[in-house]
Amino acid sequence: MFKLLEGPQTLGRGRMFWSCFLVGLGAALTYPLFADSYDVGNFAYFLIWIFMALGLCLMWGYGGMLSFGQTLFFGIAGYGYGVLAINMGGGSATIAALVLSVVLAMIAAGILGYFMIWGGINGIFFGIVTLSATLVLAFFLGQTAGPEWHIGPARLNGFNGMKGMDPLTVGDFYIEGSALYYVMVALIVIVYLALRMLVNSGIGNVIVATRENPQRAEMLGYDVRKYQLLTFVIGSGLAGLSGALYTSWGQFITPSSIGLPAAAMPIVWVAFSGRSDLTATLVGSFLLLFGFQTITVYSQQAALVLMGALLLATVMLAPQGFVLGIGKLVADWSRGRRRGDGDVIAEAGRLQSEES
Amino acid sequence: MNSGRKLRMVLLGALLGTVASMSVGRAAEPPLKVGLLEDVSGDLAFMGMPKLHGSQLAVEEINKSGGILGRQIELIHLDPQGDNARYQEFGRRLLNRDKVDVLIGGITSASREALRPIVDRTTTPYFYTNQYEGGVCDASMISMGAVPEQQFSTLIPWMVEKFGKKVYVIAADYNFGQISAEWNRKIMKDLGGEVVGEEFIPLGVSQFAQTIQNIQKAKPDWLLTINVGAAQDSFFEQAAAANLNLPMGSSIKVMLGFEHKRFKPPALNNMHATANWFEEIDTPEATEFKKRWHAKFPDELYINDMGYNAYNALYMYKALVEKAKSIKLEDMRKVIATGDACIDAPEGKVCIDPKSQHTSHRMRLISVGPKHEVKVEKDYGTIQPYWLGEIGCDLTKKNDKDQYTPNHLPKKS
Amino acid sequence: MSAEVFSVFYQFADVFAFLILSAAGLAIVFGMMGVINMAHGEFIMCGAYVTVGLVNLGVPLAIAQILAAVTAGLIGVLVEFLVVRRFYKRPLDSLLATWGLSLIVTQSMLLIVGSAVRGIGTPEGSFAIGGYTFSTYRLVLFGCAVAVLAGLYIIFMKTRFGVIARATMQNAAMAKALGARTGRIYAISFGIGTGLAGLCGALYAPTMTLIPTMGATFVVESFVTVVIGGANVLLGTAPAAVFLAMIRMALNASYGQIIGQIGMLVAVILIIRVLPEGLSSVLVRRGR
Repeated sequence: MFKLLEGPQTLGRGRMFWSCFLVGLGAALTYPLFADSYDVGNFAYFLIWIFMALGLCLMWGYGGMLSFGQTLFFGIAGYGYGVLAINMGGGSATIAALVLSVVLAMIAAGILGYFMIWGGINGIFFGIVTLSATLVLAFFLGQTAGPEWHIGPARLNGFNGMKGMDPLTVGDFYIEGSALYYVMVALIVIVYLALRMLVNSGIGNVIVATRENPQRAEMLGYDVRKYQLLTFVIGSGLAGLSGALYTSWGQFITPSSIGLPAAAMPIVWVAFSGRSDLTATLVGSFLLLFGFQTITVYSQQAALVLMGALLLATVMLAPQGFVLGIGKLVADWSRGRRRGDGDVIAEAGRLQSEES
Repeated sequence: MNSGRKLRMVLLGALLGTVASMSVGRAAEPPLKVGLLEDVSGDLAFMGMPKLHGSQLAVEEINKSGGILGRQIELIHLDPQGDNARYQEFGRRLLNRDKVDVLIGGITSASREALRPIVDRTTTPYFYTNQYEGGVCDASMISMGAVPEQQFSTLIPWMVEKFGKKVYVIAADYNFGQISAEWNRKIMKDLGGEVVGEEFIPLGVSQFAQTIQNIQKAKPDWLLTINVGAAQDSFFEQAAAANLNLPMGSSIKVMLGFEHKRFKPPALNNMHATANWFEEIDTPEATEFKKRWHAKFPDELYINDMGYNAYNALYMYKALVEKAKSIKLEDMRKVIATGDACIDAPEGKVCIDPKSQHTSHRMRLISVGPKHEVKVEKDYGTIQPYWLGEIGCDLTKKNDKDQYTPNHLPKKS
Repeated sequence: MSAEVFSVFYQFADVFAFLILSAAGLAIVFGMMGVINMAHGEFIMCGAYVTVGLVNLGVPLAIAQILAAVTAGLIGVLVEFLVVRRFYKRPLDSLLATWGLSLIVTQSMLLIVGSAVRGIGTPEGSFAIGGYTFSTYRLVLFGCAVAVLAGLYIIFMKTRFGVIARATMQNAAMAKALGARTGRIYAISFGIGTGLAGLCGALYAPTMTLIPTMGATFVVESFVTVVIGGANVLLGTAPAAVFLAMIRMALNASYGQIIGQIGMLVAVILIIRVLPEGLSSVLVRRGR
């Protein structure tokens, strides 16, 4: 089973890659020992968003489905967590609220996905339908300010946002600060490894085959719609996980986390990082989130200009994405020194789809 | 004699040394950190800029005149770009990392609500400096702006008396607009007036042909315009072009959005508003204040009430700290509880109400003429923010941490 | 009674003009080259700002509007040359590039021009029918929308450039092999597209508040119109706008703007579900 951790669909293999992985993981685990508690909490916050990016990477990079709906499922699970946590009371029930809200998002994704995929919607139309559904939810929630909009004691509270839910709790212990950080790191590692195994398995090969050529995959006897639906549900469920965690983190969620421009952000992260690979998405999204925040803190009004320039430069200079671009540079450099090692990363080029 | 002189020298030296070391200790006292969150990018930048300027001006003035309790102020401003998630990130950053002594800012009610849960878990005071829909009963928050009982219970009776009993409401479709419309319904009912139409408009909508026609169909005597944001402001231009020509009243136009400076006359003709501040106030204190502001920021199009309130917030903080002789929220709240947390602001004297921690204001009703000239129609004197106290919010006894509206009142205990 | 009938027409014309004017530029850019131009709103903003600037310098409104459209078109050609040109083979990346561009442009405008610009006022003129008064300028906008459609039809159906452009759209490699200078065709088409966006901004400038982010109010509507129009933009955009305008107008009139907005988006989802290739696929099939 662990053989599936590496394969043709993911970059990085061999002792070299996994020792880098372990070093990275070790650094992440020891980070709270010497860092300021604020920074630890802040890193935990960045990690919350990564699930959404990984989900989109799976759908878009591997499955060829450009979903503009990550924040739709983010919102469903985010609001779901709030409603459930308030209704079920705090304490350990929040863990159940987290799980149920992600399930809720996956059910919603199943319905929308069935509707779209069995209707033969693909390409840019897929993006527009998911975007429309996202905006519908955002507009709807935006006008629920009145006290009549409530589910049990939980008020939706319109544009000002829902609040008053407990953060994730075990017994009397709030999962916050370093605890939250370790939970996030653990979840990221589990999700990342599980996704690697998924895309390198038989299912993953069919998903990629469908991206490359749906007709051909169908001729080979696969019902591609089922595979697409599976991809969509998993990818959207990961967005839901981000949403529920986000609500728990800030004890607050508003419709503007769902509508534009929030809906475009996951696409920006994934496109920036390099959508064709999970590792690139993981590393790139984190770097971008960290970079954007840092830029905003230190450069005041010029921040948006710098962010725009960064994106423009990346897409013009490193067409496969920032992380893959850097990876290639490193590979070329090390190949210059010692032939052979760089081939792994150079494969990035072959993994890139023609155009989805 | 010799030894006596020596002794005296030593004593003098010791005394001087102590004084010197005392003054060194004084100078080394760390500055007070003021955390500020104002949007200076994105859609709301045109309102956020004057707020940033107001805070900067106040900090400069206070620092020049010796600081607060002898300590200088260090202003740490971050720009959340109108994004609620950034408000939370930066709120935490300022509170947990920079460990600010006071937090100020937020434009939309959503940004304030994003900050409140974070502030409530600390013991740092938070100043919200906008006029808003009212009703927040939270011991950590001090509100500097005007609230509905100061704006609507003055404006609406005046409009009814002057123009008639039928009103049509256009409001932004979110909390501020909906709660303001609720206030209007309540006051109109008491006055025996009639709301002939209410239209809620999603944020970001910029086309109003249908709305204008609906208004003409309903034939109101006057309009209550509580539309929000640059896109929705296009209503005025389009209504003027269609020759709608109705008297208008609002709680946010003119002094806040300075539409009379941004649109070509006569788009804002016949607009009325009640304000604690507008740049056209011409009392000596106000004139002096405006002069200082324009000297520092010569390009400012208009000093709006948000910017003015942001300026006052720092002076109010100074007054509270100096009366309490402490920078702790609980000590400052003891001063508020006595009821003499007051400052002499450019509009006149303003005080914090102990029960709700909102600010009393001197309210004036202003109207806009065909050339967009602003005239004071009526001076109401000082009006207390009484509503929260009346419905049962009393922060001196209990911290509700909730937001109330006419339809959502505290549970009777 | 006649007042009611006219008012329904007026409302329809108003929404239709808004959809056509905001979508026409995007339709060319997206339909011709598959470039997803996220900076579409910024070209609209550019048109509006140039118009206001020129009017403040004393240029008559109509001339200022034409100059603004031309300016936006020329900037478009420049942007095509510097940026967009690299992305014809990977249109999805154009999304990221143009989004970056849009961030740079809006924020730079904020820093350079300031957060708020004083408006220029709508040209005088209103007329009354029954109990209603209407703005004449809104009918001018409708006229412009129809003129834009007619102009596009003539350019792409009746001129030599149009024939080559459509050939390039169908099969760029083949057109190139036959001697068409596809690079130039793309540049001109992109310029026409951004010029139309500039025209939209120029025409709406007198009726709106000018802020650097104003383009955003046009973007969702224009994308939706273009996409449900389908692959053949020349055929699809106009019927799509008619269809959406009718839905939007009916819902606005009876249930208010919020339902109008939600209803339009739901209609979009349903249309794409029924016609996954957009409206033009049906029209093309009929035509054959």
